[in-house]
Amino acid sequence: MFDFLPIVISGIASGAAYALLALGIVIIFRSTDTVHFAIGDTGTLSVYLAAAAIAAGMPFALALVTAMGLAGLIGAATQKLLIQPLGHRRNIVFIALVVTIGLGLVIRALVGAIWGHQAASFPPMIQGSVAIAGVAISSNKLLAAGLALLAMGIVGWFFARTALGTAMRAGADDPFAARLVGLHPGRLSLLAWFLGCALSSLAIFFLAAESSLSPTLANHPLFRAFAGVFLGGLTSMPGAVLGGFAIGILDNVAGRYVSANFRDTIVFGVIVLILFLRPAGFLGASKRERV
Amino acid sequence: MWRRLVIVAVALAVGAMASGMSDYGRLIVATVAFNAIAVLAISVLAGSAGIWSLGHTAFIALGGYLAANLAGMNIAIEVIVPLVVAVAAILGYFLGLSAGRFSILYFGLLTMAVALTGVEIIGRLTQLTGGDQGMPAPPMPSWTLHRSLESRDAMWTALLLAAIVFVIADYFVKGAAGRRWRAVKSHRLASMSLGLVPHRENAAAFAISAAVAAVAGVAGALTIGFLEPETYSLDAGVMLIAATVVGGIASFWGAVLGAAFIVAVPELARGLRDVSAFGMGLAMMAVLLFLPRGIVPSVLAAGGWRRPASGGPVATAGAHKRIVDEATAGKIAALATELMPRSDKSLVVEGLSVQFGGLKALDEVAIHVPAGATVGLIGPNGAGKTTLLNALSGYVKPSTCKLMRLGDAELSDVAPYARLRLGFGRTFQHAELFGELTIREMLVLAATMGHRNATGAGGSDSAPTEIAEKIIDGLALGEVADRFPEELPFGIQKVADIGRILASRPHLVALDEPFSGLDSNETNELRAILLGMKSAGVSILIIDHAVKEVLNIADRVVVFDFGQVIAEGTPREIQDHAEVQRAYFGTAAAASSAQIAAGTETIDD
Repeated sequence: MFDFLPIVISGIASGAAYALLALGIVIIFRSTDTVHFAIGDTGTLSVYLAAAAIAAGMPFALALVTAMGLAGLIGAATQKLLIQPLGHRRNIVFIALVVTIGLGLVIRALVGAIWGHQAASFPPMIQGSVAIAGVAISSNKLLAAGLALLAMGIVGWFFARTALGTAMRAGADDPFAARLVGLHPGRLSLLAWFLGCALSSLAIFFLAAESSLSPTLANHPLFRAFAGVFLGGLTSMPGAVLGGFAIGILDNVAGRYVSANFRDTIVFGVIVLILFLRPAGFLGASKRERV
Repeated sequence: MWRRLVIVAVALAVGAMASGMSDYGRLIVATVAFNAIAVLAISVLAGSAGIWSLGHTAFIALGGYLAANLAGMNIAIEVIVPLVVAVAAILGYFLGLSAGRFSILYFGLLTMAVALTGVEIIGRLTQLTGGDQGMPAPPMPSWTLHRSLESRDAMWTALLLAAIVFVIADYFVKGAAGRRWRAVKSHRLASMSLGLVPHRENAAAFAISAAVAAVAGVAGALTIGFLEPETYSLDAGVMLIAATVVGGIASFWGAVLGAAFIVAVPELARGLRDVSAFGMGLAMMAVLLFLPRGIVPSVLAAGGWRRPASGGPVATAGAHKRIVDEATAGKIAALATELMPRSDKSLVVEGLSVQFGGLKALDEVAIHVPAGATVGLIGPNGAGKTTLLNALSGYVKPSTCKLMRLGDAELSDVAPYARLRLGFGRTFQHAELFGELTIREMLVLAATMGHRNATGAGGSDSAPTEIAEKIIDGLALGEVADRFPEELPFGIQKVADIGRILASRPHLVALDEPFSGLDSNETNELRAILLGMKSAGVSILIIDHAVKEVLNIADRVVVFDFGQVIAEGTPREIQDHAEVQRAYFGTAAAASSAQIAAGTETIDD
C-alpha cells in the first residue's frame, strides 16, 4: 500500500482532463439537452490548429487561448447550424446524438486527411518533473491540473456569481419561463456551446502536451469523461467535476491493484454499482412522474 | 397480415435477384441482412419500449460465439438458433428488469458498460473465443440441407433468418405485447392503474430484443466466417444506433435501410479511410437535418401514405357537439350494467396518514364506500383529496394506515399494479391517456387487462376487441377512435379516460376531478356517464371541486380540509353544515346553503 498516495495523486492529475471534458459535456447538456459526442473532436481540431500556429512561431499561451476560442466558435456554430434546426420532437435526444456522432466522424476524417493519422509531436509546456510523496509527476501534468482547476473555478464563479451565469442556469432549468422574464434562450445556448467546447479544447491541449497529438487523441479521455458525467449526475456541474476526478483515480487504482487488462470492466463495474444505489448519479436529481 | 407477406416476398425477391450476383454482391446482401436484424432489435426496443441500448453488440457477440462453439460440437443450426435465442432472452430479461430504475440515457450507459465488459471478457476467454486474435467460425451443420452450411449459403440463410425475425417482431410490436409496451413507455403510472407491471414489460421487451440481436450474431458469424472482439466494439454499437435513427426509429423498412446505409457507405469508399468516415458522417448529418424523423417515416409522411404522428387537432370542443340527454344516460347505464361487475365489495379506509416532509397531507383519515354506493369527496385546494386517491392507488406511500380494505383484500399490502385485480380502478384529473396508443388501442388494452376482474364477478365475458367497440359506440368515440390523445380536445380525453375505466371493469371506481376543465356541454355529458355507471351498481368515489355536481350525484358526501375529515353526511346535511361553509367561505355567516347548492364554489383552480 506504500504507493497508494502517489497513484491517487497521479489519478487526480489525469482526472483533471476528464473533469474538464465532463464539465463541458454537462454545460452543453443542461442548455440544450444534447449529448455532444463531437466535443472531443472539436477540441482536437482546435489543438491541431494551435500546433500549426506554434510551429509558425506563436507563443504558447497565446496559442492556447486561440485554440479555446476556435473550439468555442466551432461549438457555437454546431449549435446554430446542426442542432437548433432539429427543433423539438420526439426522440430528439438521440437524433441530436447521432448528428454529433456524424460531426465527430467528419472532423476526425478532416484532421486525418490534412495532418495524417500518425501521432505528431507536440511541445510540452514546461520541462522536468516534480517529486510528490516519492513519485515523479511531470511538471507539465501539474501545470495542466493547476490550470484545469483554475478554469473550473472560473466556470463555477461565472455560473454562481455573475448575472449572465445565473441567466444561463435559469434558461437551462426552464427555457419557457426564461423567455417570459426577457432572457434569450437561443443566445444563452450558443454561449453554453462556446463555453463547453472551449473547455474541451483546454483539456485536449494538455493531453497533447503530455504525450502527442493524433486524430483519435480525444476518444479515450472523452469516454472516461462520459463515465464521470454519469457518475456525478448528467445535470450537475460539480457532480461532473467530481465524477471526472473520481474516474481518474479509479482508473489508476484499478490499473495498479487489480489488472490493467480489466480496467474498463472495473471502472464501469464500480459505476454500475453506484448507479444502482443512486440511479441519477451522486449529485443528479431524478425526475418523478406525478398525476 | 399483409405486412408479413410483403416482408417474406421482399426477402425472396432480394434473394432471387442477388443469386445471380458475384460472391462480393452476395456477401454485401448477406451483410445488410444480418445488420438489418441487429438494427431492428434496437429500433423496436426504442420505438415500443422507449429503451435505448448501446450494448446490443454484447448480445450479437453472444449469438456469434455461442453459435460458433455449438457448431464446433457438430450441433445443427436448427438447434443452434433456438438455443441462442433462449440464452440471450434470459440474460436480456434480467438486464431489462432494471431499465425503469434509470433515465433513458443512464440505461444506455449501463448497456454500454455491458458491451465493453463483454469485449474484455471475450478477449480473456481464449479457449472459447480465440481471444484478441479471433477464431474462424466452423461450418454449421444443417438438418434441412443434410450437409454443412458454407459461405455460399450465407446469403440465403441470413435473408431467411431476417424474414423470420421481422415477421415475429411484427407480431409482437403490432399485437397485445406492443400495446402493453407502448402504454408503459408513454405513461408508467397510468399503466400501473391498468394492472401492467412496468418492470416486467420492460424486461420482456428487452428479452425479445436481445434474442433478435443474438440471431443477428448467428447470421453474422455465418456470413463473415470469422469472429473477433473488434467486430463487437463500442464503435459498432454506436453505428447501430446511427443506423436506427437514420432509417427511422421503430420503422421496419427503416431498419433495412439503416443497415444498408452503414454497410454501403463505407463499402463505396473502400480503402479510402478518410473519405469513408467523412461520407458517413456527412450523410448522417444531412439525412437528419433534412429528414429529422429518419428516412422511411419522413418519406412516408411526405408522400401522404401515412398520417404523421401528430396531424393537429381534428375536432375542437365546439365542433364536437354531442347530444347529451336522458337517452344517452340510459344507453350508458345499459353499457355499464353489461360490462361492469355489480359491485359486492365495499371500501373501508381507517387511520390513513400521509406525510410529505413536515406537511401532514392526510391525518388519520377514515372513509367508507359501501358496495354499490356513490360517495363524494369535496374540500378546498390542498385539502388532501388527490393525495387520498394517490394513496389508494399506491402512488404515494402512507406513513401510517390501519385499514385500506376493498372487499376482503387489503389494498396497501399489494403494489400499485396489483390493485386493479383486487377491484380498484381510477381515473385521472388530467386524463393521463397513453400518448402512443390510439383511443381504440387503449380501450382494447384496458379490456384485456380487465378481463380477469370481470369474468369472476358476473361482468361481461366478451372478447376485448368487442368490449372496446361497445365502449366506442356507447361513449360516441367512433370519430376519434383511431386518433392519438394529443390530437383530441381535453373533454374528449376525459371521456376516453372514463372509457378506459369501463373497459378495465373494476368493482370500485375512484374519479379524480372528473368535472375539472370541462365546458358546460362536456359537463352534461360526463354527468350522464356517471349517472349511468351509478345506476349500473358500480361503487364510485368521486373527488371534485364542482360541489354542485358532487352533491347531485353522491349518496353520501365527505368533506376534507387540511388533511382531515371535517364533515360527513347526506348531500342535504352537508349543504347546511357549518364547518363546510367555514371551510369554503371563511365564516358560516358569509354564505348560505343556497350558494353551495347553486354551485358557486368560488375556491377553484
